[in-house]
Amino acid sequence: MRASIKRPPTPDAEDEDQDREPTLPEIINIKLIESGEKERLKELLRERLIECGWKDEMKSLCRSFTRKKGRSNVTVDDLVHLITPKGRAAVPDSVKAELLQRIRSFLQSAAL
Amino acid sequence: MSTTLNPCKHLSDYKLRYGVKGFNLSQKWVKSGPYGKTQMEVSKSEIPRCSFCSGYEGRLYICLICSSMSCSLSFESNHALLHTQTQIGHEIAVDLQRSELYCFACADQVYDPDFDRAVMCEQILGLGNGNLDGIRSNGKRKRLSFEVGFNSDFKNLKRVSGGGGEWDHGRRISKSCFPVGLRGLNNLGNTCFMNSVLQALLHAPPFRNHFLSGRHNRDSCRKTSAGRLCLSCDIDIIFSAVFSGDRAPYSPAQFLYSWWRLSENLACYEQQDAHEFFMSVLDRIHEKEGKTRNTNKDNGDCHCVAHRAFSGLLRSDVTCTTCGFTSTTYDPCVDISLDFNTTVDQFAANKAQKSTETGVSTLTSCLDLFTRPEKLGSDQKLYCQNCQERHESVKQMSIRRLPLVLCLHVKRFEHSLARKASRKIDRHLQFPFSLDMTPYVSSSIVRKRFGNRIFAFEGDESEISTNFEVFAVITHSGMLESGHYMTYLRLNEQWYKCDDAWITEVDDEVVRASQIYLVFYVQKPNSHKTGEDVGCHLRSSVSSDSFVSIAGCC
Repeated sequence: MRASIKRPPTPDAEDEDQDREPTLPEIINIKLIESGEKERLKELLRERLIECGWKDEMKSLCRSFTRKKGRSNVTVDDLVHLITPKGRAAVPDSVKAELLQRIRSFLQSAAL
Repeated sequence: MSTTLNPCKHLSDYKLRYGVKGFNLSQKWVKSGPYGKTQMEVSKSEIPRCSFCSGYEGRLYICLICSSMSCSLSFESNHALLHTQTQIGHEIAVDLQRSELYCFACADQVYDPDFDRAVMCEQILGLGNGNLDGIRSNGKRKRLSFEVGFNSDFKNLKRVSGGGGEWDHGRRISKSCFPVGLRGLNNLGNTCFMNSVLQALLHAPPFRNHFLSGRHNRDSCRKTSAGRLCLSCDIDIIFSAVFSGDRAPYSPAQFLYSWWRLSENLACYEQQDAHEFFMSVLDRIHEKEGKTRNTNKDNGDCHCVAHRAFSGLLRSDVTCTTCGFTSTTYDPCVDISLDFNTTVDQFAANKAQKSTETGVSTLTSCLDLFTRPEKLGSDQKLYCQNCQERHESVKQMSIRRLPLVLCLHVKRFEHSLARKASRKIDRHLQFPFSLDMTPYVSSSIVRKRFGNRIFAFEGDESEISTNFEVFAVITHSGMLESGHYMTYLRLNEQWYKCDDAWITEVDDEVVRASQIYLVFYVQKPNSHKTGEDVGCHLRSSVSSDSFVSIAGCC
């Protein structure tokens, strides 16, 4: 069998990986990070969650869990897995709306 | 606050093998984010991704041994764990977003003082070097030296030394008679603002001890002998009268006259603000005494009784939201004015800690608000030395040095420039009898800014007493223009209501239910001696036999 020099090069393994083709959420994420907007949004979120008492609520959840299990038997992973679903559910709608609005206006200004 | 967290064996093994090399290498990743957060950035051109799944979500860890990144999303998707399982010995990593150490094997955060020091130094010094182009002058480094000298910073957070004797918890007197020093003050015409503050001062331990031990001698007072007014002399007279044992209400007319003369703009029969009066009295005492003692500008070193008792130091940090550079200033204070924390707490119904129901505010939540980072408005852009431009900033207050006597002022009187009207906030404020000021001191506040860290302290932190005990509460009842001030005094764990000339014993609940305006706490010494029954004897550090005749006590 003669190897054809005109044959196209064997595709690299990475090309099959779908992450090569950035998805829309990825593009948005990259744009947010590059412009520094993601950091600002995170700060805003932190501020709002403190104000409405969400942070204190999560803190007390962690505390009661730690009290039950004993301080030396609790890991960061345990706590993260404990409060992630509850935390996500407890974010007030007003905070969600505000953040979404900010992201929307950012996208408009970034002409995406 | 445990500063001795034992490392897990994985961390100890790592340190044995690699020492601090890995930590120092990770310094190159340190980037100071906006708002001053310590962050890590591995590549300037790409966002960090997990080496297993190329994901960028969840927690990202960078292995300290091979610098590969892995993510941790959930129980099911834990590539961090996968990394340590596939690469034996790769156990210690850095959490990228928090710049904190993590142990894959323990699945837990771990702490190391050398790591903390490496990261923080890099962040603090990095700001001096700037993320900008250009050559930084040495002058900028100097400005940061107070930040870098962290250990000395904490070492200097000494306990404020008291003026005279100690707060004596040991006296126990039978309930049938009032303690010494409890005497009504006659209202001389809308002077309840003065009476209430006087009652509090009469029982502020450093003040009381200073005057009762004869530290201010009327005969040798320079002012009085020169024919000038000395407010301290007048206060001394009041102390003598109130602690004489005579229970008939006393009229502090001489004091009022002196104060009028010294504060001409406030001399009238109209109702004054107790807080303003308090500050003006301290000011007058300082003026008269301070000059004769020393010429130190810093009130913290001022030896006048007013400052020895009440002077503390506040720290104000202003952080640029663009580059994270923080500029710090210190200001002396004799009290702390607190705004009401009125933000609606949506989770309050579930909590039993800070508020029992929505709408109940607490003094501690006001202190939280005081030390919470506050974003300054976009019309208040401050010049950032690092960026060399005006940017929006965040300001955060904390207490650098606690005073011996802490006076907390609740801002109930709201003056609105827009509406050209003032109003009083009647909202009830819950307050603790024992107050731990640890979360509000600079060391706690600043430490939190760098994430979860431990420091190897060189100073002995146990010297610092952050525990305070209430001894006086000034309440305001009624309306803005026509209200009434009263003082509740706590002597030997019994509360007494001092309403001008009338003194009565009251229960704890009455005090808790009152509308507090000024709350006075005194530093509780760490070596708290449990009470010894010493009867009704008046104790002071310098023995003084001038006037102690206690009438009617057991």
